[in-house]
Amino acid sequence: MSGALVFATLGVLLAPLGVTAQQPVAGRLSGHVDASVIAAVSALADSAAARGLPIDPLVEKAIEGGAKAAPSERIVAAVQAVFARLGRAQQALQAATNQPTTPDVIAAGAFALSAGLQDSDVRNVARACGAHCSPAAALRVAGTLAALGVPPAETVELVRETLRAGGHDRDVVALPVRVEAQVARGATPAQAAAGLARAAAAGAPGHPKSPDQGPNPIKP
Amino acid sequence: MTTALHPLVKRFLDGELRLAALPTELHAEARLAERLLGAVDRAPVTLPGLESRVMAEVRRRARVPARRWWQRLGDPWEIRVRLRPWILAPALAAAAALVLFLTRSQPTAGPVAVAAPESVFVRFVLYAPGAHRVSVAGSFNQWDATAAPLAPSGAAGVWTATVAVPVGQHQYAFLVDGRRWVSDPGAPTVDDGFGRRNSVVSVAAAGARAL
Repeated sequence: MSGALVFATLGVLLAPLGVTAQQPVAGRLSGHVDASVIAAVSALADSAAARGLPIDPLVEKAIEGGAKAAPSERIVAAVQAVFARLGRAQQALQAATNQPTTPDVIAAGAFALSAGLQDSDVRNVARACGAHCSPAAALRVAGTLAALGVPPAETVELVRETLRAGGHDRDVVALPVRVEAQVARGATPAQAAAGLARAAAAGAPGHPKSPDQGPNPIKP
Repeated sequence: MTTALHPLVKRFLDGELRLAALPTELHAEARLAERLLGAVDRAPVTLPGLESRVMAEVRRRARVPARRWWQRLGDPWEIRVRLRPWILAPALAAAAALVLFLTRSQPTAGPVAVAAPESVFVRFVLYAPGAHRVSVAGSFNQWDATAAPLAPSGAAGVWTATVAVPVGQHQYAFLVDGRRWVSDPGAPTVDDGFGRRNSVVSVAAAGARAL
């Protein structure tokens, strides 16, 4: 067997390994955005994969940009912003737990950042969660609370007090609905969150147990 | 100069025919050929030191590991498998058990595909008086604005649609008349990175961790 034949055979066998990280991204974006965006997002996805960051949020943001007919450079900028938030979330979470984090938790942290929380808030929510709850769920709840208009400090406090009072995932997950209920009664989001946090800290009867509100939140 | 011998003379030299069996006119040629052949020195040729030189070269090449491995790659390998028939039965049983285990632990499409993301019906409502078309698009439908059109409800200007949304957290927006993206006024919103805001919906299944 000649040397050239051996190397050609090895090349054919090994070549797919080098393109597997990029091919699915290009395939998912094909038909949604133009070639320049596909190339840019594929490069970002490669970087994300190398750093242990999730790729799906990048692809989804690019598809969203294509659906909204945004200019190519705007789409790339939006995807870069998502990439940056994922990196910040990863660093904040690693600082909180001193352990590698999963892509799902990182994506939840990035969502919380996009909703207006700061890196330190992400860190504090993850620390408050500890081993007692799902950090991804807690971070998504924190992001949703921030998106509802609850200030970051009150958001972190509400999640922390709920968990400190012995609350579990289902209690944390119920927080946005409980805040919305208080807002519907006339409270501001900050007042609603602060009131719920005080009640949890005081161990008020019924706290942190949430009212039976059915398993599936219906929006709106 | 070469001279071709008669085929019968060649057979005589090979010992197949006796001289008496040859025609008389070939006797002289046969005797001449026999005499010439007898003069040839048939002693084996010996080259002093040839074997030792060849073996030394073989050993020298065999000492280079890279060459040895390279040669192994190129040379055909002979693999001998000796099986006792009674061994085949447990081997086949083990292979069947492995296949069963793998097919059971990796759900495929069909009734066993319980790992597929569970979906929950979510009712979307938008008040958009004067609109001709409204649809909802989001991360749950790849932002496909044609996938989930809203229909006018009984009340004037109210559009609704019930959409199966996979469990998890999603961002979405309404598209009004195919050109205007509108966030849901009844849901929390986040910056979409394109100058507008997306609404956020969190869908949980009964008994499962939400968000």
